[in-house]
Amino acid sequence: MKLIKPVAPLLIFIPLIAYIPISIEIIKEFHIGGINIIFQFITSAIKPSLNILVVRSAWEGLQITIAAALTSWVISMFIGIFLGVLSTDLFWKSMPNFSFLGKFIKYSLAVPRSIHEVIWGILFIQIFGLNIWVAIISIVVPYSAITARVISEQLDSFDIQPLIALQQTGANSMSSFITILFPKLMPILSNYGSYRLECAIRGATLLGIFGLGGIGTELYLTLKSMEFREMWTCLWMLWFVIISLEKLIRFIRTNFYSNIDFKKSILTTISILFSSLLIGIIWLYGLSYDIFTPPTYTYLIWPSFLEIRQAFYDLPLLNLIITTISITFLASGIAIGTPPLLLIFFPNKISLRMQSIIWVFFRLIPPPLTTIIILLFTIPNISVAALSLGITHMGVMGRLLTDSIFNQKKDIYQAIKSNGSSRRSATLYGLLSPKSNSYLAYGSYRSDVILKETAIIGAVGGVGLGWQLQESLSSFDWAQVIVVTCIFSLLTISGEFLFYTSQNYWLRNSTNNFII
Amino acid sequence: MTKLLELKEISLYHKDNFRVKNINLIVNQGEKIAIVGKSGAGKSTLISIANGSILPSEGDVIWKGQSINNLRKREYSNIGTIWQDLSLIDELNVGQNINCGALGKHGFLWALKNLVGIIDKELCKECLAAVGLPEKSIYSYISKLSGGQKKRIAIARLLRQEPEIALADEPFSNLDPLLSENILDLLINNKNYFNIQIPKTLIISLHQLNLLNKFNRVIGIKEGEIVIDSSINDLKPSQIDWIF
Repeated sequence: MKLIKPVAPLLIFIPLIAYIPISIEIIKEFHIGGINIIFQFITSAIKPSLNILVVRSAWEGLQITIAAALTSWVISMFIGIFLGVLSTDLFWKSMPNFSFLGKFIKYSLAVPRSIHEVIWGILFIQIFGLNIWVAIISIVVPYSAITARVISEQLDSFDIQPLIALQQTGANSMSSFITILFPKLMPILSNYGSYRLECAIRGATLLGIFGLGGIGTELYLTLKSMEFREMWTCLWMLWFVIISLEKLIRFIRTNFYSNIDFKKSILTTISILFSSLLIGIIWLYGLSYDIFTPPTYTYLIWPSFLEIRQAFYDLPLLNLIITTISITFLASGIAIGTPPLLLIFFPNKISLRMQSIIWVFFRLIPPPLTTIIILLFTIPNISVAALSLGITHMGVMGRLLTDSIFNQKKDIYQAIKSNGSSRRSATLYGLLSPKSNSYLAYGSYRSDVILKETAIIGAVGGVGLGWQLQESLSSFDWAQVIVVTCIFSLLTISGEFLFYTSQNYWLRNSTNNFII
Repeated sequence: MTKLLELKEISLYHKDNFRVKNINLIVNQGEKIAIVGKSGAGKSTLISIANGSILPSEGDVIWKGQSINNLRKREYSNIGTIWQDLSLIDELNVGQNINCGALGKHGFLWALKNLVGIIDKELCKECLAAVGLPEKSIYSYISKLSGGQKKRIAIARLLRQEPEIALADEPFSNLDPLLSENILDLLINNKNYFNIQIPKTLIISLHQLNLLNKFNRVIGIKEGEIVIDSSINDLKPSQIDWIF
């Protein structure tokens, strides 16, 4: 048997190799003491605390998280749409002399989106102190930049011929641009916008873990005090919110976006955005947040160039970069490789439903909390960080995979089954193989997200650039903070480029859409 | 003659719409049957019911005296199908696709090994040669092939399966007349120049009426019902005209 160029269906399993070094390292440092606590944590899932004080406290935390997420989501959508349109080539086609401005905006946005919202949060806390606006701005900064990028890419991927045709009729540049642009923008906003709202809730939860209030803070405190039943009360409530949100988004898409004219879809989008902003702000005000007072600026003593240079030489940067990259690859391996493996081992319909539910739980627990749980039976190392990140993103990949399998056409699967193949072989060839290219494309995108999240996981897990940043911030060493942030930003920008290239490669070969 | 496949009072309907109605058909070993009928007459549905991938609303499909629903998985590998949409996997190369035909005869490990590298390459090459494709195309990707080439790969996959009966849903629609005739010769006359076992019993739905004389029995379907079941020698041109 001659080895050939690996085919995409095989490549989706190769990342599983990550389990080997992770298992070795975790087993090597394993201590039995924590197992009992892990067991308590798992069993608490079925008997969460129903104490009225606990429920009330969790509900209050949840409200803060949702309100902050709603507000930051709307603001980031508005800014993202504005910057996204400004950074399209399409927009500047009508004003070619100023097209450099579009390029400038496009490339400048790489920096804010390269830094995770939690890192922005930690930095802003130092400058503005503990304030709900810090949480909102921390989400708005990277999310606006990410939304802008997605919108500009999507708009630029459309055919510009209709724009040229319209301009040839004598229409002025701006009105022809708006006529072409708006109908294309609406479907992007309804699909991508709703996804960003879910991300904003996760982002707000994560910020809570790092001290900015809300359900994240509740989760962190209950875990730290080992009140697992209370923790599960928070987790179940968060799960309920996320599932309800999913259903609500699906309902809105089906009832308010399909089969309606363009005018109505614009009105619906604008109404949703403005009412969400209003709800978010009123909600926060109702929760006694002083949202109309601007945050106060704390003067920082910025380091001199010499201090920054010294920090650059003092820090073990190469080691930190290698650690961060290792965490990314190992976590991506787990996230990408595990869901297809489970699908192959348990290919029947009932187990697929079960897997779909399990994946929701995996992505529900924020990675820093998973790290703390894993640290109950091992010591901080790369594998712990990778496993925590891997588990969360495995949940995301797994849920999308099972959902897309449910909605996939089953022609090839039926064809393979009809020749007597086992269900497992038919699943591998008939369901997974046609999805493999698009699955790998989405895996590349996930790896990019994982790289950015190494910052938060490192801070808890004691490894990588994230940990160094946390250490430097704790000692108010601003020179080190600047160096680490810049290096991390450069690393994520390079990663974004690499993963984006790989994503496009897989998408070019894809015959099936993974995201439905 | 040995009775191989029997469709007993088969009907398939959705609400009040019949796809096929009261079909009775006995297929004996060695028979070469052509199914003709207009598009939408129910030919593809009949083939899907015959291979067990669609359950009829009424009636039963009997394979060698046993209901097709009670067959063990492995026994399905005796029934081969060329699907109208071909059902090839674009993500795999030609050799791996051809080997998909043999998945029913092997376990999951074999299926995994086939993803790492093409297994039983010589057999795959013979299947390729049988459908008139060069050996080197074994490494080509399906997405890079033309419609006609894809059809030939689907036929090669069926040959690789080595079934006792072949059901084919319009297998010659994208092929040039000469190649269609060559492949039909291979299937009908069992011109077995290769080490692969050609299925002796055939049921093929087709629109190329000039190929009918190669078969020994013709089934005509109109609006989901069998309206002609005749040997090729007794078939009158007016019957065919009536169907279309």
